[in-house]
Amino acid sequence: MKIVVVGATSAIAQAAIRIWAGEGHTLVLFGRNNSELERIAADARVRGAVAVAVHAGEITSNAYIASAVDALAVNGGVDQALIAHGSLTDAERAAVEPDYLAREFTVNFTSACVWAQLLASTMAANEQPVTKTNRGDHSRTIAVISSVAGERGRYSNFAYGAAKAGLTAFCDGLRAKMLPRGVHIVTVKPGTVDTPMTAHMKRGALTASAESVARGIVVAMNRKTDIAYLPLIWWPIMTIVRAIPERIAKKLKW
Amino acid sequence: MTPVSLDQPWGRGFNVEHNHAFARDSELPTRSFLPRGLGRSYGDVCVNDSGVLLHNFRRDRLLDFDEVHGVLRCESGASIADIAAVMVRRGWFPAVVPGTRFVTVGGAIANDIHGKNHHVCGTFSRSVLAMSLRRSDRDMQIVESNHPLEDVTVAGLGLSGVIDEATLQLDCIPGPGIKQDTLLFGGDGSIDGYLSLDASSQAWPYTVGWIDTLDRGLRGVFFRGEHCDGPDDWLTPNTAKLAMPVDAPQWVLGRWSAKAFNELYYRAQGLKSATRETIPLWQFFFPLDAVAAWNRAYGKRGFVQYQFVVPRAAAREVVPKILAHLRESNVASYLAVIKSFGEYLSRGVLSFPMPGVTVALDVPAPNERDRRALDRADAMVADAGGRVYPAKDARMSAAMFKRFYPQWERVEAMRDPMISSSFWRRVARSS
Repeated sequence: MKIVVVGATSAIAQAAIRIWAGEGHTLVLFGRNNSELERIAADARVRGAVAVAVHAGEITSNAYIASAVDALAVNGGVDQALIAHGSLTDAERAAVEPDYLAREFTVNFTSACVWAQLLASTMAANEQPVTKTNRGDHSRTIAVISSVAGERGRYSNFAYGAAKAGLTAFCDGLRAKMLPRGVHIVTVKPGTVDTPMTAHMKRGALTASAESVARGIVVAMNRKTDIAYLPLIWWPIMTIVRAIPERIAKKLKW
Repeated sequence: MTPVSLDQPWGRGFNVEHNHAFARDSELPTRSFLPRGLGRSYGDVCVNDSGVLLHNFRRDRLLDFDEVHGVLRCESGASIADIAAVMVRRGWFPAVVPGTRFVTVGGAIANDIHGKNHHVCGTFSRSVLAMSLRRSDRDMQIVESNHPLEDVTVAGLGLSGVIDEATLQLDCIPGPGIKQDTLLFGGDGSIDGYLSLDASSQAWPYTVGWIDTLDRGLRGVFFRGEHCDGPDDWLTPNTAKLAMPVDAPQWVLGRWSAKAFNELYYRAQGLKSATRETIPLWQFFFPLDAVAAWNRAYGKRGFVQYQFVVPRAAAREVVPKILAHLRESNVASYLAVIKSFGEYLSRGVLSFPMPGVTVALDVPAPNERDRRALDRADAMVADAGGRVYPAKDARMSAAMFKRFYPQWERVEAMRDPMISSSFWRRVARSS
């Protein structure tokens, strides 16, 4: 299978890449930091990836995304994709720096939507015959990493949450739109994951490892799950969080 | 792979305050720091109280593998667990592995760890073909044979710089199995039974003994093993199915429970005495990894591990003496491990192994009396020309350390001025 990973230097993406490398897939990695990407690619090759291509560039710019997906289309298409880039928005800074807030939306929302849309269209256009390797069962799936933070705007991180809420809604719609065309979208909703992005936060009982979240993503993609809370404990938690009446929620500093 | 604790060493029970930094790219902390891997050292060699810990476990990429010669280049945060999991299915295995696979390559070099094959392979550093070292005061150093930083980086406890990458020579193996012999020895209060089994097993690549230090007769179990093939489902380790979810209460840890445990363990081994069996290599090398966070079994106050080595000529007489001393001082211990080191001398000036016999034993939450008993044991070890293992230590005196490792000043002289550890401040201070 050929698998595209956007934001390949993120900890969750790296863990997923290791799983796919061990299964002997072909990988195409997108990210911004070229030297990190090269190391991740080397690691994937040692672990058994058939081939690994690396593209470093402005992965949040529309022009870059369009040309990247065009190139993928002419190079034999894509079977699966993981869209993993993101940035934990600094709420204090976002409150006083409009340009920063807009940039964060571009990273966490706009660019992820553009990648998902263009990759989905390419996959739909490039109907793949059922082969021995894809067995027709779990090809043509895109996993998009959203977050449980997108379930409700909260006192402490609503700028990040709003972007992820938008991304979740976009994925729901795209999933419906792509259903008749055979492309599946998995919305991944991790809770707190132990990664460099959250290194400053306290690790709690609910903090998951990047490896366990990555395993969950791979399973969800192969099973064509619609929405994957990772770990699953976040599903009941967020059900409760969503049920809290706003007149109470507005008083919570969470 | 992530550490069980970002602050505590494996032996736990420390009252420490750290700032945490995570190694990325090329920046080093601007304050005094200590590089750290997975924190499996038992005592304060992986502690830097009131300072910065530079966590290296995320720099764990495997960068290049030569399938023909079995040469692997990797980042220093790569764990033995990860390397073994990837390489066993290709017929390769790290040349030297410790009793847990959850250690990093950087930590294995910095403590110059040994394994059950020391008598044929020497220490971990013998399989290290090259390493690169980042320092706060000079450019990246490529440390190969005879580099001036080599003998202070191998077994250098992380003080000579941050080990960045390492190139390792792996061992070719026939498959994921181990052919293991289990033999009983002792009962007569000497270690002669162990020594003769060990002498007759020199052709076996892996040998180790377990010895009951609470038993006057010093009964024990001798294991020897060699690689062999095995079924495919042995290629990957079973992830720990058991975990210590909470700290054990302190009363579990006394002398009587240790006695009962040892009795049961010995009898269980006795039931299969002298049998030969084939087991997954994971079970042979890493039996304790089957229980995640097993250090919690020692309760909140933690434990220290006491590991010493005495030269071969003195071992027959001195080892039983030291064990008798510890027994008479009521220092409880589960599962003491005994191993005869080979003739290989390591490049590191602080490297622990020497030709002789080593014993490692756990001491739960030592009190003042236990500590005095261990100090006395230190003196017996020193008088015999032996030494105590820094990677497991949390208590030896500065004077003793300097007696064990007379070349310690070379490490102090070559130390990265930005790097220090609680251990080093404890043992290298002027006494």
